[in-house]
Amino acid sequence: MSAAMSIKETKKTPNVGIIVQIAIFFLIGILTTGTITFIVERRLSNESVTAQAEQLAAAMADEVKQSVTEYPAYEWLLEYWYDNSDKLDIEYDATYVNGTKTEEKCRELSKKYPDIQLKYVDEGQIASMPEEDKKLYAEIAYSWLITHVNQIKRSYHIDYLFCVVTEPPYDSQVFLFSGADEGAVRGTTFSEIYPAGHKVSVAESQQKAMENAIHNSRHLADAGDYVDHYTYMCPLGEKAVMIGLTYNLSSLRADIDATTLRGTRYAMLNQLTLSLISIALILLFVIIPLKKVQKNIRLYRVTKDSANVIKNLEKVRPHNEIGELSEDVSELACEIDDHLEKIRSITAEKERIGAELTLATRIQAAMLPSIFPPFPEKTEFDLYASMDPAKEVGGDFYDFFLVDDDHLCMVIADVSGKGVPAALFMMASKIILANNAMMGKSPSQILTDTNAAICSNNREEMFVTVWLGILEISTGRLTAANAGHEYPAVKSPDGGFELLKDKHGFIIGGMAGAKYKEYELTLEPGSKLFLYTDGVPEATDADGQMFGAERMTDALNADSGASPEQILKNVRAAVDGFVRDAEQFDDLTMLCIEIKERR
Amino acid sequence: MKIEQNKNGNELTIALQGRLDTATAPELEEVIRSSLDGVTELVLDLKELDYISSAGLRVLLAAQKTMNKQGAMKVQNVNETVNEIFEVTGFTDILTII
Repeated sequence: MSAAMSIKETKKTPNVGIIVQIAIFFLIGILTTGTITFIVERRLSNESVTAQAEQLAAAMADEVKQSVTEYPAYEWLLEYWYDNSDKLDIEYDATYVNGTKTEEKCRELSKKYPDIQLKYVDEGQIASMPEEDKKLYAEIAYSWLITHVNQIKRSYHIDYLFCVVTEPPYDSQVFLFSGADEGAVRGTTFSEIYPAGHKVSVAESQQKAMENAIHNSRHLADAGDYVDHYTYMCPLGEKAVMIGLTYNLSSLRADIDATTLRGTRYAMLNQLTLSLISIALILLFVIIPLKKVQKNIRLYRVTKDSANVIKNLEKVRPHNEIGELSEDVSELACEIDDHLEKIRSITAEKERIGAELTLATRIQAAMLPSIFPPFPEKTEFDLYASMDPAKEVGGDFYDFFLVDDDHLCMVIADVSGKGVPAALFMMASKIILANNAMMGKSPSQILTDTNAAICSNNREEMFVTVWLGILEISTGRLTAANAGHEYPAVKSPDGGFELLKDKHGFIIGGMAGAKYKEYELTLEPGSKLFLYTDGVPEATDADGQMFGAERMTDALNADSGASPEQILKNVRAAVDGFVRDAEQFDDLTMLCIEIKERR
Repeated sequence: MKIEQNKNGNELTIALQGRLDTATAPELEEVIRSSLDGVTELVLDLKELDYISSAGLRVLLAAQKTMNKQGAMKVQNVNETVNEIFEVTGFTDILTII
């Protein structure tokens, strides 16, 4: 039954497996790592993509700058374009197919100046030209440059490529030339490709970027989805010529997001793999062995079969704490077995002693005369006696027997101590007393001889108090001797019970060579004699109060005319009423004899 | 049961307090057995002793017998209850009660 109960008990605690707890822990770890990685990756890729864009912008600006400065008279050209942008007849998007106009102009100019290589006209040669030729050359150079710039713009994937003239405080810019994709619309509306001479005011960030470009520091301007990049090219009088690039940020951002996501995904996947491996290892090296140990503990609780459990646990011996735990459980099972075995043998021993004590109780009780009336043919007296030991066996005893036809010997005695030692000593005392009495000795002689016999072999210093009297039945004459026993109580025919303060000798077994004196009294018909052991007056209640001789005589006299049996019952009832719930501590032994009226 | 010992040279005084019965007598027996070596005068002070049973008397008797061999034993401050027990059991004859 207890096994079934224990199993129920173990099921009571709700159990979340360690593996689930660890998995939750890892999941939190993965999410945390993902978040951190995302933030870090985002910043890193943001920086790298921006850096790439900036590098690209610098390279493009450089290329544009080279294509401008390869004209020896570029400074003159820039100034001319700027000053005469409204007068120039510009062919913006010339190709070899439709670029005939510029080619015509080239031929016209080459005819006029056959010695000059148009591409490499220097400022000195220009100065010698008339005004209309200067204009013609500026238009040709512009077309050539635009063609080149268009190519540059088209080979990089940027949104706008342009050259502007600006001056402090850089709040506006005038367009010189712009690169355009094939078929792009040139005009002055926002998002169209601005023609030369178009002036726009700029936002503060662009203003700042241009100012920075002069000092060659950071020259990016962030304007919503677009970023402007400015590079200083050359001065133009008091003004400055700048190369501007605009690229779309949304595609940049998409790049950054993609890079970030890739990085985060990679990190999380990495951690997930590690977590799964960890969980698998924990499962293999911790949970499974632990489960085995647990299973065997439960098995032991049910079966108490330590041999089986130890055999099972021998397989669970990893070289770690679980191995130790498994070993400890094995040892614990062994120890519990030992204890159980001990308890079993102790219990068996206790049962054996109990059985023996029961038998001893019966033997002791059988040793005392217990058939009442004991001598039905003797009508001269009525006698009743009882013994209630505090333990299974006691040290008190009473005895009575006929020494001869006219002599009744009565004994009441109390051995020091209680239990089995007292009972053993009591048996010896009783037999020695009875033997001495049966020899026809006088009470004092009986006690003296008994004392001598007991003292000769009494290493344990046990002793016994004895009151012994011999009644001459025909006359009622009582001869008695007292070896340290309680005073007997005597009732005269007309009066109540009174303690008889008789002459006391020393206890028997206490002192070798002790002598005992006897005394005589006559019990008239109607008299009663009450003998008892100290268990009666010394019965103690829960508060430590003793019953006492006075309460005892009161109980005797409550109905002093009653039969001996009833008198014993009265005293017993009075004692029980006094001690109530307190445990009976001492043996309770009483004897009462009544001398009947002679017929 | 409270047992108080007071040794003064060869004189040992043991003061008893409470009940000396089957339950407590072994305690006193052990005290007396272990501390009587070399004692020539043993004084038992029974002023606070409420009750003495036959088991207690046995310990007293054993002490008296031991002291008979090596010196003397006195019993002092015997109260009425205990004295009555001593009288009934005849111990008044063998103990030196002062």
